[in-house]
Amino acid sequence: MAWEYYLVVMLVYLGTDLLAVWGLNLEFGVSGVANLAYIVVVAAGAYTFAICTLGPSSGNGGFQTYIGGFTLPFPVALLAGALAGAVVGTLIGVTGLKRLRQDYQAVAMLVVSLMVATVVSADTGFLNGSAGLALIPNPFADLDPEVARWAYVGVVALCCLIGFLVLRRFTTGPIGRTLRAMRDDDTAASAAGKNVIGLRLVVQAVGGAFGGLSGALLAGFIGGWSPSAWVYIETLAFLSCVIVGGMGSDRGVSLGTLIIAVLLLQGVQFLPQISSSPGLSEDFGWIILGTSTIIFIWFRPQGVLPERRPRYLRKSSSQSPG
Amino acid sequence: MSGDAGTVILDVDRLEKHYGGVHAVDGVSFTVERGSITGLIGPNGAGKSTALAVIGGYASPTAGRIHFDGADITGYPMHARARIGLVRTFQMARVFGNLTTIENLLVAVPRQRGESAAGILAGKRYWRGEERQLVENARALLDTFGMSTNADDPARTLSGGQKRAVEIMRALMMKPKLLLLDEPMAGLSPSLSRQLEDMLLRLAGDGLSLLLVEHELDTVDRLCGKVVVMAQGRVLSEGRMAELRLSREVQDAYVIG
Amino acid sequence: MQLIIEAIGFGIATGAVIALGAVGFSVQFGISNILNITYGSLMTLAAYVGLLLIEHGVNAWLALVLGAAVVGVVSVVYHRALLAPLVRRGTRAIAMVIVTVSAGIILQYVIVSFAGPESHSYGEQSGSTLHLIGFTLSAGQVAIIVLTASLMLGLHLLLTRTTLGKAMRATSSNRTLARSCGISTDRVSDIAWFISGSLCGAAGVALAITTVSFDFSLGSLFLIPMIAAAVLGGIGQPYGAMLGGLIVGVSSEVAAAVSNPNYKDVVAFMILIIMLLVRPRGLFGAAWSTRRLMEG
Repeated sequence: MAWEYYLVVMLVYLGTDLLAVWGLNLEFGVSGVANLAYIVVVAAGAYTFAICTLGPSSGNGGFQTYIGGFTLPFPVALLAGALAGAVVGTLIGVTGLKRLRQDYQAVAMLVVSLMVATVVSADTGFLNGSAGLALIPNPFADLDPEVARWAYVGVVALCCLIGFLVLRRFTTGPIGRTLRAMRDDDTAASAAGKNVIGLRLVVQAVGGAFGGLSGALLAGFIGGWSPSAWVYIETLAFLSCVIVGGMGSDRGVSLGTLIIAVLLLQGVQFLPQISSSPGLSEDFGWIILGTSTIIFIWFRPQGVLPERRPRYLRKSSSQSPG
Repeated sequence: MSGDAGTVILDVDRLEKHYGGVHAVDGVSFTVERGSITGLIGPNGAGKSTALAVIGGYASPTAGRIHFDGADITGYPMHARARIGLVRTFQMARVFGNLTTIENLLVAVPRQRGESAAGILAGKRYWRGEERQLVENARALLDTFGMSTNADDPARTLSGGQKRAVEIMRALMMKPKLLLLDEPMAGLSPSLSRQLEDMLLRLAGDGLSLLLVEHELDTVDRLCGKVVVMAQGRVLSEGRMAELRLSREVQDAYVIG
Repeated sequence: MQLIIEAIGFGIATGAVIALGAVGFSVQFGISNILNITYGSLMTLAAYVGLLLIEHGVNAWLALVLGAAVVGVVSVVYHRALLAPLVRRGTRAIAMVIVTVSAGIILQYVIVSFAGPESHSYGEQSGSTLHLIGFTLSAGQVAIIVLTASLMLGLHLLLTRTTLGKAMRATSSNRTLARSCGISTDRVSDIAWFISGSLCGAAGVALAITTVSFDFSLGSLFLIPMIAAAVLGGIGQPYGAMLGGLIVGVSSEVAAAVSNPNYKDVVAFMILIIMLLVRPRGLFGAAWSTRRLMEG
């Protein structure tokens, strides 16, 4: 049934998008780290997953050349992807440490993103260059295809559940408060005794882990990964979810991801039939994303579900969701 | 040359700060005694705020050393200074705009259980107790400053004077040993100024040391024991405000600028 | 060695176009304190407007002028209608970057919807080549170098000899002070955006003239070298951007000639990153401008 397959794809994409958006929101929405190179950590996770499950590069006909090449079990490969995201996230964080204006840092991050993509594309020995990696084995290949698909959905759902619980540990409570203080005024936060540099690196590691896991799950599902999947503008897609949904609010950005997903699906249906070019829907998707972002920055920068801070005046329970 | 570590809490030794060719601070030395309120005055451009910024760790000195509570803190970053009790406020009150007023206070406590790796891993159970205590302390402070009703307001909605109060409350939450205040009365109404003055005197009586940059010489007169006068990046004179008023040197400095 | 000299020659030609774009970008930052990332897509727009004109028989150089003018107008409207109001409302710098990046994406994909994703070309240029001191340049490239040099000279004269130019410099350096001196800063901004937008458009068409073929990614490909050049020279400083353009152009071409040509762009990337990390004010930025770069 076509619709069932379609639904599976939607759910997997939604789940992996949520993980990535949560990570980016932690970095940008909550902590104020303008990491416009976020897509690089997603790619790191995807590539790491690939080289952990593809086996040696001489196999499969030997037409792909890449480093690594192990055959690790699925959960281990996922963890490796998350770890790779954390490491790469921290490295990116190190380049952004100098006290620059935020917009300068943002542009620097975009450049880093482009640069990494260029280097990876150009070097055919590292990760098979611009062709990318294919034939990534599906962990459920032995099962009936429909069961395999839904099993994967189950894995993604489980990762999201665990991921969300971990996320809340960082976005709520005293640490959540401290990160937001850093976002609001990092100098005052330093003056209040917060080690801003350390916090930024931690946040970029954790955010990177989320992105890496997202990428790993995607790579395992799609079966391939190439530089076209992580052009620098992909970060803008996630950023759009954060801004539309509500910066700094976990629920908000989750809703934002849903909204953007629906918009992209529905909006494409309203395409005027000016040409039957297959790439058109994707192009239109970008137009929708860009426009939504600008509209929200103009009319409602706090997003659909703005961040809510806990209340202390009334003697209610200590924390309402942030 | 440092005084006896027992009575001196801050020892600024030949401090210099150059910006390009400009010697904003050009060899400044003075001390602050424990439990005292010391004033730092001088005409515009004398380098007072720069000196305070360097002492607070906002900028690193070109030369010179800073001793605090017996330790050489010259190389310490801003957050490290705050953690050992050297706390500064800013000329323009800086609050965490999207946090509520009470959160602004709660966040200021260094090394909270909830911020540590253990706290994040272990969850609410680990830091709930400490948090409750902090909320009590914050509530008490808000009461003292008469801002209890604003506890849940986002700090960006507060008035200028309220923001100033939040900054000072935040500094106090950190249990400072020495408070660096950069024109704390700026933008406050006369009655609020008076209230703040009384509070600062009370705090000094309880053992807190204060270093105050201030333009209002009457305020300085009322509050400060020792006053250090700076002009053109250097220390011109030291003494009690009454004596300094009579000094020809000091009068000239203010006229010439 | 011959290879390197040729690369230098090539680099001067590329550098000229990069300088052209970098100056426009720099002027926009100087006047409005905005890093206008939409700049790349605006160059692409100019290239395609030029294409349209050329396909209808218009001479390439006239197409350049018209393309420049179109983008000049679009830039003014863009700034007035979207960017300036956002800044007035206190939108933070990072949000402005997100806005300009998003607008760039929108524009780019609108262009694709109309013109398609395939490559296009302005067609063969007249085959004459020049040989100067070992450089081998086509007539088109030489013309671009001459054009850029004249535009730079024109800009220099404008900035130093005219009242408008002085008003632009004043507004760049301190807007509030300029306004209190009676300068109509809004009108000066409009004119500055038109001029810089025209430079952007000229750069876009020039790029299309000098490359064999191009597609919708033309602008975004060259934007980074232009930003690198602008930052290298000291952002906000048009003269620095001119020199920066040459440096970026020549070093990219020489690096590509000496090592892997795939890494040509990486040179520009590295220059930009290193400058931002080590010396954000660039080679010629004044110390005061560091304040603009450091404060949040």
